Amino acid sequence: MKHNWNRRDFIRQTGAATLAAMAAAAPVPAILSGCNSKNKIAGNTSADTVILLWMAGGMAHTETFDPKRYTPFETGMEGNRVLSTFKSVPTALDGINFSEGLQSIGSVMDKGTLIRSYVAADMGHILHSRHQYHWHTCYEPPQTVAAPHIGAWVAKELGPKNPVIPAFVDIGQRFTVGEAEELKAFHTAGFLGSEYAPFMIPDPSEGLESVRPPVGMDAKRFEKRNQLYTDLINKSPLSELGSDYQKESLKRSMEQAYMLLNSPEAKAFDLSLEPKASYDIYNTGRFGLGCLLAKRLTQQGARFISVTTEYEPFMGFDTHENGHTRMVGMKKMIDAPVAQLVKDLHQSGHLDRTMIILASEFSRDMMVEGRPDAKVQEQVNQPDILNDLKFYGMHRHFTDGCSILMFGGGIKKGFVYGKTADERPCKSIENPVKIDQIHQTVYHALGIPEDKQYEIEKRPFYTTPDAKGKPVLELLDKAKA
Amino acid sequence: MKSLKILFASQYNSTNSAKFFVKSFALVFAVCVIFVVPGIAEPTEEAAKEPVFWLWAFLGRLHPMIVHFPISLLFIALLMELLGRRSNKFNAAIRVLVYTGAASAVLSVILGLLLAGTEEYGSDVFSLHKWAGIATMIFGLLSAAAYKLSNRTIQKTLLTITVLGVTIAGHYGASLTHGEDYLTSVLPGNNAPAGEQNAASNFVLAAQTGPLNETQVQELNLQVRTIFAHNCYNCHGSAKVKGELRLDSKDAIFKGGEHGKVIVPGDVHKSELLRRIKLPRSDKKSMPTKGKGLTKEEIAVIEYWIKQGAPWPSGQLKSLYRVAELAPRLPNIPAATGDLNNPVDLFVNDYFQKNKIKWATPVDDRTYIRRVYIDVTGLLPPPDSIDVFLKDARPDKRSVLVSRLLSRNDDYAQHWLTFWNDALRNDYTGTGYITGGRWDITKWLYNSLKENKPYNEFVRQLVSPTKESQGFVKGIKWRGTINSSQSTEMQAAQNVAQVFLGLNLKCASCHDSFISDWKLEDSYAFANLFCDSILEINRCDKPTGIMASRRILYKELGEIDTSTVTQERLKQLADLLVQPKDGRLYRTLVNRVWAQVMGRGIIEPMDAMDNAPWSQDLLDWLAYDFVESGYDIKKLIYKILTSKTYQLPSVGVKEPEQIMSPNFVFNGMLRRRLTAEEFADAVSVAIQPVYADSMAVFKLLPEDFNKSIPFARASLVKNDPFLTALGRPNRETVSTSRTSQASLLQALELTNGSKFNDAMKYGAAKWKNKYPDTKTLVKEVYRNAIGRLPGKAEEDVAEKALGNAPTEAAIQDFMWAVALHPEFQLIY
Repeated sequence: MKHNWNRRDFIRQTGAATLAAMAAAAPVPAILSGCNSKNKIAGNTSADTVILLWMAGGMAHTETFDPKRYTPFETGMEGNRVLSTFKSVPTALDGINFSEGLQSIGSVMDKGTLIRSYVAADMGHILHSRHQYHWHTCYEPPQTVAAPHIGAWVAKELGPKNPVIPAFVDIGQRFTVGEAEELKAFHTAGFLGSEYAPFMIPDPSEGLESVRPPVGMDAKRFEKRNQLYTDLINKSPLSELGSDYQKESLKRSMEQAYMLLNSPEAKAFDLSLEPKASYDIYNTGRFGLGCLLAKRLTQQGARFISVTTEYEPFMGFDTHENGHTRMVGMKKMIDAPVAQLVKDLHQSGHLDRTMIILASEFSRDMMVEGRPDAKVQEQVNQPDILNDLKFYGMHRHFTDGCSILMFGGGIKKGFVYGKTADERPCKSIENPVKIDQIHQTVYHALGIPEDKQYEIEKRPFYTTPDAKGKPVLELLDKAKA
Repeated sequence: MKSLKILFASQYNSTNSAKFFVKSFALVFAVCVIFVVPGIAEPTEEAAKEPVFWLWAFLGRLHPMIVHFPISLLFIALLMELLGRRSNKFNAAIRVLVYTGAASAVLSVILGLLLAGTEEYGSDVFSLHKWAGIATMIFGLLSAAAYKLSNRTIQKTLLTITVLGVTIAGHYGASLTHGEDYLTSVLPGNNAPAGEQNAASNFVLAAQTGPLNETQVQELNLQVRTIFAHNCYNCHGSAKVKGELRLDSKDAIFKGGEHGKVIVPGDVHKSELLRRIKLPRSDKKSMPTKGKGLTKEEIAVIEYWIKQGAPWPSGQLKSLYRVAELAPRLPNIPAATGDLNNPVDLFVNDYFQKNKIKWATPVDDRTYIRRVYIDVTGLLPPPDSIDVFLKDARPDKRSVLVSRLLSRNDDYAQHWLTFWNDALRNDYTGTGYITGGRWDITKWLYNSLKENKPYNEFVRQLVSPTKESQGFVKGIKWRGTINSSQSTEMQAAQNVAQVFLGLNLKCASCHDSFISDWKLEDSYAFANLFCDSILEINRCDKPTGIMASRRILYKELGEIDTSTVTQERLKQLADLLVQPKDGRLYRTLVNRVWAQVMGRGIIEPMDAMDNAPWSQDLLDWLAYDFVESGYDIKKLIYKILTSKTYQLPSVGVKEPEQIMSPNFVFNGMLRRRLTAEEFADAVSVAIQPVYADSMAVFKLLPEDFNKSIPFARASLVKNDPFLTALGRPNRETVSTSRTSQASLLQALELTNGSKFNDAMKYGAAKWKNKYPDTKTLVKEVYRNAIGRLPGKAEEDVAEKALGNAPTEAAIQDFMWAVALHPEFQLIY
């Protein structure tokens, strides 16, 4: 029953989704003239759930999914010689290698596509938060109106898949770490309205806390409290005022929240219910458990889930030094859970309609900051001669060649797209892909039209700037697309 | 069709049978009901899309010819009946006329329905025409029957009704073809006001013969450009130039596209553009390629324009868009009437009369005191104050109350701070601060509100700032490269225009606007006023090599010395902006304040002050009076809050879309939900402080701010997930209104979020001590939170839930339920 909920049912049922045209800032579906008739959901969709696995902080492609010549560390070595600091290992795909430590993900590559030619935006002085904003909203900051996160667009257009699971769930990012304000700027539904904002679960092992009665309140008391609320409203003389959308939307969202917190599906948030063997595979820390939560929610009907390794300046993938050593740990963190997520969803049959995307805001390189032809201000102290292991690694921010993995939801199986040069600069040399193409590919699979737009302050605001981006149809399985 | 033949044959051949008429009537009726009416009488989109069988289309198009038969035949029949009423000399002729008239009415209806099915009609006028036509047919048949069977009186009556019917049907039919105001537009005193002409699709000119005068050329040209703008600019404008053709300027239109000229003035046959828009929609070459295509009327306008030689006015072109007056205007205040004397009420009374709205009984004291407390101070009224107010017998107690509240300067400042923080995008945390690229103006803003700084001075100090108020025009400076439409100078231009002038420059800061006459150069010239150097114009972020000038947006406001330094320039700009003759500045402000307390602006959206107000007079008067009264925002609030208009019962709408609809009709204050800050403060006042006093951003507040506050107002604390969920925006962009609708995320935050539930928990402990007795507790919670005693039924429910010796948990849950009660959450 709940798996067939579409947007319209949701609106009818909850009423909470009505386009609030209250404000100048509220979006109105654009109906300028007869020119926007393309706004129709395409007939064949290949996905209805999206999981974004976010490698926060800039994941070096040459150290992960696009390894180059390996040069082991020697004191006094020339940094320019180093393209990869790991050996390459084979994957399930003939002739395609990954960097050592990603064997598990390599083993499921027959189920997905590897993009080796993502090119991040050129925004001058490189800032993680700006590039992350750009990746997630498809717009370069700053914008004159608050741009929505891709998850908010999906939530807005398709609504929750299961009415009791928030349409857009964001797992793993805390706002108590550095650059919190910059992170908040894109963890938002922007002008689409707070209804489509991410449901934040900073710690997946505490996910249940967000969807169960307040701490210290048992189920019986929770039910009683809700009953009292309903009774008091029913006995109130205010009902004489008649109904309006304010009152109705308040009542309905409260009912919905109660339903969610009381629903059997809420158990999906409870990781302690996962069999121990499975839990242990996922449990590489918060990111791994985030993948587990994503799996459980997907199986109960989630719409858009983002799981992040978490961005914190100079932490995680943001390797300004000790790049090699740090990458050993980061690979451990992602390898098993990502592979397991793909396997589990494949096994339960959900992978067919669930698109998994693994990506990062940009890549890294030992020598080049920015892109080869447009170098920007150096931010990392990287000597030309390496006398210390801590300088051995990809420490500069490289935007001209990054890897993205995609699985399921109509994505081709066992496919590689694009290519980077085998010598420095290891930039994209074949089929470069930009962020708007990635977004449009996701929207295409979900059936959201390319020129979907809302009129905000009388201007059209598209899912991707000026609706110029086109989906990369080569990534999609024709039989499904 | 067979039935038609029979009908005709029998009509003419019949000499006797009364049965025959009954039969034919039934037959025609059946034809209409079964075959025509349900299928094609209602022009639907599907019908329009499917190509129609040519014969139906052909027959349909005979309708305009055939309709003249029933009109003239029946009319003459009636005339003869009246003229020859003494003698009976016309009788035979009348009979023939009535029979043939009725028959032609039947035929007209059938052909008319065919026409409607094959072409696109669908207005109210169409519907009126259709039913008037069908009614005429029926009465025509009845008349015919009467002339066969009945007496003279019935005959005459029926014939008169039929002629009346045919007149009405004819009138609406003509309105369909020639435009609704075809007849009335030539009547004296019926000229639409200038601003409204754009909106009306007037097809007046097409009927004009002979050369056009200058005004008519302007009008016709405007119609043509409007049609192009709506149907063609998307692909033949500055954004896209398909087929190398642009239709957005005179030169481009006459230059044509890749295949040469598209318009040959005076020659409708050689004008390719006309040919293409007239092609059937199924034709691949038909224009526009997307959408429904042009209406018949639109095509006719273009055709007429070309026939007239495609005239183009010589001087300034009339705007395609509604452009509001810049100058202030003092409308005549309608004479006092009844118990109305506040000008606000008199203007609203005028509006009500025009819209046939009756004044409802004003709200009771309890509702009123709650409203004004929230609207002035953002706080709930304390229960004792409510009691005193209810008992107060003074007739002017409401205005006394408003004055008293307005004099509570700190409370007032702490409430309105939220609105101005949103509008001026002033926040305590946020992007930009970390890198020193942003300045907060909290101190200045707080003090300005507290001392009720005159608005002209307020604007002056923001535009031409001191160190304390510079944050607004300095904007947010991001590291790295940014889009050229987001330079700090352009941010200043956009934000000054949006917040103070209700003008959207955002389009025109990237390219010439598609939604107004503002050009890219205008925006850059305005931005240059804030810039030490001169900005190079970037079109869609691509440098053009052209340096912009320096200029204020409205040249009517005066000139700025462009040679002087930025600081001096901004001083001049500020002076020009706040002049009384800048009516737009003050209309924008009064509209914002009105919307804050009434739930909807007189103009919406409030940032689009070129839109039509629901009452121009009210808006103009409020703005004019605001200037006359010393730019005093509190006086403005006083005037509104003491009006009968404000005291009308609140109005709820079923769908939020209705609020922004251009057809919005004002009936009274719109019911609103408490904002995030109002809700948090209401909980703080009524139950338990949500924020400890230490949470206030004291460092950013004025030094003399009294730190021993009972609780921190939510307007003074940093944004957090609780406030965000309830709608406090992140203030990176200007935000002049908030949505008032609940969402699941809000509900979740309220259901199990710690911020709110903790307040309930601590509150419960406190209240348990204070009111150990259940009855008193229930009463006090209701008094404090809802502002009244509980009703009997409510008391029963609450007491039952609490029990005789309530636990803290039970009290907590009770308070939670009350705080989520719509009566707590809404301003009604």
